[in-house]
Amino acid sequence: MTSPQLDPVRIGMLFSETGVTSVIETSQRIGTVLAVEEINSTGGIHGRELQLVSHDPQSRPSLYRSLAEKLIVEDGIRVIAGCYMSSTRKAVIPVLERWNALLLYPTLYEGFEYSRNVFYTGAAPNQNSVQLAEFMTRKFGSRVFMVGSDYVYPYESNRIMSDLVLERGGEKVAEVYLPLEAKRADFDGLVRQIKAAGPDFIFSTVVGESTAMLYRAYREAGLDPERMPIASLTTCEAEVKQMGAEFAAGHITSAPYFQSVDSPANRRIVPALQKRFGPEQIANQCLEAAYFQIHLLADAMRRADPDDVESLLRALPGSEFDAPQGRVRIDEQNHHTHLRPRIGRVNASGQFDILEESKDRVRPDPYLVSHTLQDWSVRTGLRSRA
Amino acid sequence: MKTAPTGTSRLLRDLRSLNVVVFHPEDADGQELIAQLRRIGCRVQAYWPPRERLPDEADVVFLAVRPEVAAFDPSWVRRENAPPVIVVVNYENPTMVESVLRLNAYGVIAAPVKSFGLLTAIVVARNQVEQDRERARYVVKLEQRLASQRKLAKAKTILMQTRSVSEEDAYKLIREQAMTKRVTTEEIADAIIKANDILSFEGKG
Repeated sequence: MTSPQLDPVRIGMLFSETGVTSVIETSQRIGTVLAVEEINSTGGIHGRELQLVSHDPQSRPSLYRSLAEKLIVEDGIRVIAGCYMSSTRKAVIPVLERWNALLLYPTLYEGFEYSRNVFYTGAAPNQNSVQLAEFMTRKFGSRVFMVGSDYVYPYESNRIMSDLVLERGGEKVAEVYLPLEAKRADFDGLVRQIKAAGPDFIFSTVVGESTAMLYRAYREAGLDPERMPIASLTTCEAEVKQMGAEFAAGHITSAPYFQSVDSPANRRIVPALQKRFGPEQIANQCLEAAYFQIHLLADAMRRADPDDVESLLRALPGSEFDAPQGRVRIDEQNHHTHLRPRIGRVNASGQFDILEESKDRVRPDPYLVSHTLQDWSVRTGLRSRA
Repeated sequence: MKTAPTGTSRLLRDLRSLNVVVFHPEDADGQELIAQLRRIGCRVQAYWPPRERLPDEADVVFLAVRPEVAAFDPSWVRRENAPPVIVVVNYENPTMVESVLRLNAYGVIAAPVKSFGLLTAIVVARNQVEQDRERARYVVKLEQRLASQRKLAKAKTILMQTRSVSEEDAYKLIREQAMTKRVTTEEIADAIIKANDILSFEGKG
């Protein structure tokens, strides 16, 4: 147990409880809390309790920036777990670099970034986009209709997907962006466009509350996921639950973790999660990354000086942990994480059937401009479980 | 190479095959510069002090401009097809700016070196140097075309005077000769000018 005589080790937390991405970020907050409670129940950091200091940035980049500064300057915090959208991470980085604080970022993103003050524990494009493009073009064809929310992550993800599809001799039927605050009627119009174009599949980088609108509009227009599914990097268990499994069933997502992963760590963590947060609580890739990154941090804190950023910066790179997805490792060179790509399809109960998964974890390569399907020998690297 | 109109541009795709030469002291900035270039995926060779001779394979050169090497003025900078130089500066006084100008820099990185911005600097420098080369080639072509027009005009004048033909007929004569002999009109013009020089010399004798 932790000792009340010792000073706690305080960690900042910036996950939105309100605003467009509050559903997924709430799950990241739950993953963080779960890990912190586990660590404290087994003695914390050499007897010191891990303590979370949390603020609600309301899905707004400017608030992420000012609240990060508040955590660092007013609360004296050196390590923050947080951020979902790239725009919010970009807003926080100058603050981290100015005050030499750390951010643990548990979200998939578009790559092309390295800050010595950030550790990236979600998938880089070479750990999810390449596998998704390979799977979709192999199973469904290479005429793709792209739809995304109007911000930086979708632009870059669509560039990568375009290159991969064009390499296969495929065709980008359309590339459409809708505002983050788009209304249901916008999606009905979009689905009419999709229906008229008749692509082989739809690549969606729609995030937040828009996700449910897209899948619902698709379903209500009578389109069939067996023939023309929506492929996504972001639609996970949280979004599926929000929209209802009947609207998501049959659609495809590429992610390093699904709640249905069969691993010793995951068999332990899912019941623990439901015991703590209620039987309805589900896991997802962002919750899992938020969970394992706190364990990686705690391990590093036990080996280093938990209050000293330079000491943590030496201890975190190269560290490993048996995460629910399998053993993960923080890369020494680029601060991203070695992860296990997987392809899942939503089933009737809102969980993902894992169709394929990588035999080995894949090294993150955030600066890879030109992804080619051959580079990653995805075919031999993925074993089919379908 | 496969490039679809909507695909990612070649300058970006090429990043991973670039040989980058770094002339920078082995300090924190040098280490961060090299580490970031390797993250981007470039092949990096590093030296300090800077060399008079450039390694054979060099697509981009990063060069720290420091007071101790302010007089550094290697000949390869002015060579045709020289790789673009991106300077790393930690002073901004007129002496150092003069050095930057002399090095014909295509980009400037300010110390302390940050990971952010290097990739853009490389791509922009290579784009600029390619455009410059393209323009240089175009200028040479224009100069050649201009010289050729001058010769043609002179040859036409000679024919008009010696044969009392119109300008149009003079041009026809030149073109017919060029077609029969399967050479360019410029070569025929050249021959006419030379022959005329010789004949007028004899005439004067």
